[in-house]
Amino acid sequence: MNPARLATAWALFQGLLIEALPFLLIGVLISAAARWFAPGGQWLQRLPSHPVLGPLSGAALGFALPACECGNVPVARQLLVGGAPLGAALGFLFAAPVLNPIVLASTWAAFPNQPWLLLARPLGAVLVAVGLALLLRLVPEAELLQGDLLAERRLALPLSEVSLLERRGGVLGRGGLAGGGLSGGALTAAARPPRRPSLAELFRHGGQEFLNLALLLVLGCLLAALVQTFVPRTWLLTVGGAPTLSILALMLLALVVSVCSSVDAFLALSFAAQVTPGALLAFLLLGPVIDLKLVGLLGLLLRPRGLLLTIAGAGLLVLLIGQWINLWRL
Amino acid sequence: MDQPLAPVKPTPGRPSLPQRAALQRGLLLALWALVLLRSSADGRLDLLLRAAFHPLVALAGLLLLALALVQLRLGLIDAAAAAERASRRQGLVLLVTAALTMAVVAVPPAPSFADLAAQRPGDDTAQEDLSFVLPPAQRSLTDWVRLLRSQPDPDLFAGDPVRISGFVLPMAGGPPQIARLLVRCCLADAAPVGLPVRWPGPPPPPDQWLRLEGRMAVTSGADGRQLVVLPSRIERIARPARPLEP
Repeated sequence: MNPARLATAWALFQGLLIEALPFLLIGVLISAAARWFAPGGQWLQRLPSHPVLGPLSGAALGFALPACECGNVPVARQLLVGGAPLGAALGFLFAAPVLNPIVLASTWAAFPNQPWLLLARPLGAVLVAVGLALLLRLVPEAELLQGDLLAERRLALPLSEVSLLERRGGVLGRGGLAGGGLSGGALTAAARPPRRPSLAELFRHGGQEFLNLALLLVLGCLLAALVQTFVPRTWLLTVGGAPTLSILALMLLALVVSVCSSVDAFLALSFAAQVTPGALLAFLLLGPVIDLKLVGLLGLLLRPRGLLLTIAGAGLLVLLIGQWINLWRL
Repeated sequence: MDQPLAPVKPTPGRPSLPQRAALQRGLLLALWALVLLRSSADGRLDLLLRAAFHPLVALAGLLLLALALVQLRLGLIDAAAAAERASRRQGLVLLVTAALTMAVVAVPPAPSFADLAAQRPGDDTAQEDLSFVLPPAQRSLTDWVRLLRSQPDPDLFAGDPVRISGFVLPMAGGPPQIARLLVRCCLADAAPVGLPVRWPGPPPPPDQWLRLEGRMAVTSGADGRQLVVLPSRIERIARPARPLEP
């Protein structure tokens, strides 16, 4: 194997990792702040559970909790743990990386003379998020979410939604995690106002979350760096002018490149002139939902079946949106 | 006669120091902090990320260090935190993270720019009008490329003095160009920009950094009339400390 190429892959890996780590830390800090300020997540449970309004409300949360796609995985996990309706949490997970002030500003900075893109990107992100939330609703929660997340989530949900049998560890109630003892049964735990975690517990949880996510991020960055080094990018951009092929190629590029949603518009700018408008939008829509760097992180929330459905659903929705844009703009 | 001391058994409920989960967490967070702070200090960020992100990396490193110190302190002082025993899984995370962070710290990045650029399409950013144009001898390679995009007529620049630096980028089906990498975020989105050169002798090896002095000339080729650098002096230089251009 060519050693120069391996050295390039190592440098790309370091670039991706060092760029993403601060954003991951921001996400973990936001998630810890949410645990501190809204310990029981009562306001989360009041988010709408309507199939469409739920994801829309989750998407709107992006404006309040600005994190790019690696940072918003811990925040979305915290929403789910706090008992937010599934649709709202998924809406946040998939749309917030685009629907936040930083990303919208960077898109505007990169494409100030393409107003249609400034409108189409957030609208497309909401469409994709609502579509994915509707799709994933078809799968029962127990088969969609990872086991440990499900167990924590069931502790927060009201008893009217979760049976006592499903609430593993419910005898200890919330106090179980921080050594609260056996004094409160599940019923009293649910009726009692939620306890704010101690600072030590907050640091324990946040620290462990960062460490677990960082390792998954490493895996994703390694994969993205290797694919970028050994698959020439020019292959993907040679089909620039063909309407459907160009969309598919740019979707594949978004999967591989794995840059943060806050800067991907600047990257898209470098090849915007070579590809169709639909393909350009597809690149800007798919990357924030799913890419190689994210696969490991999303695996922390979703079981493989949910992950596969997300990839397939997002791919199909983005392809359709790209086609509509090409019909309109070409 | 001295009696051998019996080994100290950890009291049940309070694990020995290496087994305390909080201390392990503190150590791991400190390792990640080391990666970010070391990268900020040793100049490698200049090779990996656009300058706008450098303060963010250093700040994240400092924050992680503070979090690590809090964890270490909790593991030593706080009764509940000190009683938490590290799981086998956490031990594994410790080993993998330690190996990885040490590798990142010990093996700095040394990418081949020519190799990276060969796989990327050139930067095609349209510059519709440049508000400020430097005199020819002060223009960097990137300035020249941007200027040529806004004023594509090569005859406007024929005979202008040139003083630029860049790396040698092999081109398929032609002599190598002198090039730079433009970066908007990190190395992953680097895109090359280059200028054709009429090399006086055999072209230098790929990736070699050069400083060229000479004049611009116009040649007629298969692609029509184009501007080419006619070097009168070629100097080999080390890779600059900040090789990436915004």
